Amino acid sequence: MKSLLSTLTIITFLTATAAYATTHAETACEDRIDVTVDGLVCDFCARALEKVFGKRDDVATIKVDLDHAEVMVGMKSGQTMDDATLTQLITDSGYNIRSIERGCDD
Amino acid sequence: MNYVTAIMACLCAMSWVWTAQARPVSYPGGVTWMQMNDMDSHAVHLHYSPTANYSIGYKGEYFRDEDWQFHGAQFNYLVKRWNKPSVQANLYLKTGAGLAFSDYQSFDDETSLAGFAGIAADWETRRWFTSYENRYVSAGNIDEFFNQKARVGVAPYIGDYGDTHTWLMLQVDHNPSQDDDITFTPLIRVFKGEYLAEAGVSDQGDVLFNWVIRY
Repeated sequence: MKSLLSTLTIITFLTATAAYATTHAETACEDRIDVTVDGLVCDFCARALEKVFGKRDDVATIKVDLDHAEVMVGMKSGQTMDDATLTQLITDSGYNIRSIERGCDD
Repeated sequence: MNYVTAIMACLCAMSWVWTAQARPVSYPGGVTWMQMNDMDSHAVHLHYSPTANYSIGYKGEYFRDEDWQFHGAQFNYLVKRWNKPSVQANLYLKTGAGLAFSDYQSFDDETSLAGFAGIAADWETRRWFTSYENRYVSAGNIDEFFNQKARVGVAPYIGDYGDTHTWLMLQVDHNPSQDDDITFTPLIRVFKGEYLAEAGVSDQGDVLFNWVIRY
């Protein structure tokens, strides 16, 4: 019984570690753009961000963080997006840009 | 039941399955189905937003008490949006034009040009919500009225993106042309992803039931 619990604990730990690593390795630092926006208060309305950015061929992932009013845009490898295009897409989604950070700061 | 009523019933039934919206203007290229039922009417609204500033679409509505229907085009325009770090507010203009049909009492398959216009405004944080909307409707000899409604709401918990979100709301309707011109409707709003639903019962016993879906 003890060995079974130990085995389950190890499997759970490894699975969680793998999931964490996968999530954080999805977007390379050079392809990541963190955008802080104003007006991001409604999950239902924020779906527009996924729809607008999801139409782009150069965007790989889009993640929304309501707690920090942030949108993480993951570009496909080798692709870039200038500030003007980013601003237009965020505006089309219904929000205003407060700040843009490119790459990883950690 | 004439064929127009049948079409209306089908549209309502379809939107019941597909569900329906909250805001009258979506993102560029966005399509929204809305279906609303309250003390006065059953309505379907399907709109398409070419830009983030306006939407156009079909509006069908059946007014229960006076037993008449409206079928036409609706145009929604985002007049102004205010985005703040933890607040968003919107002001919309909503107009429509089409045909009204009635076979009620003295009306014998009466058909008339009809239209409506009104404003809608909302203000919300992740915890609090308030909105106001009014509408003037003119349908020639068939009907003419003005009504307005306001809502306040609170989210009992703050959900993360992708969670099921719940709001408790109170809607106040003012219909000057009716005997009981003020109606209170406590309701619950639930949404997840692109799907939103609202349900409530007014102090006069009328059911409110709305669905929204965004594509």
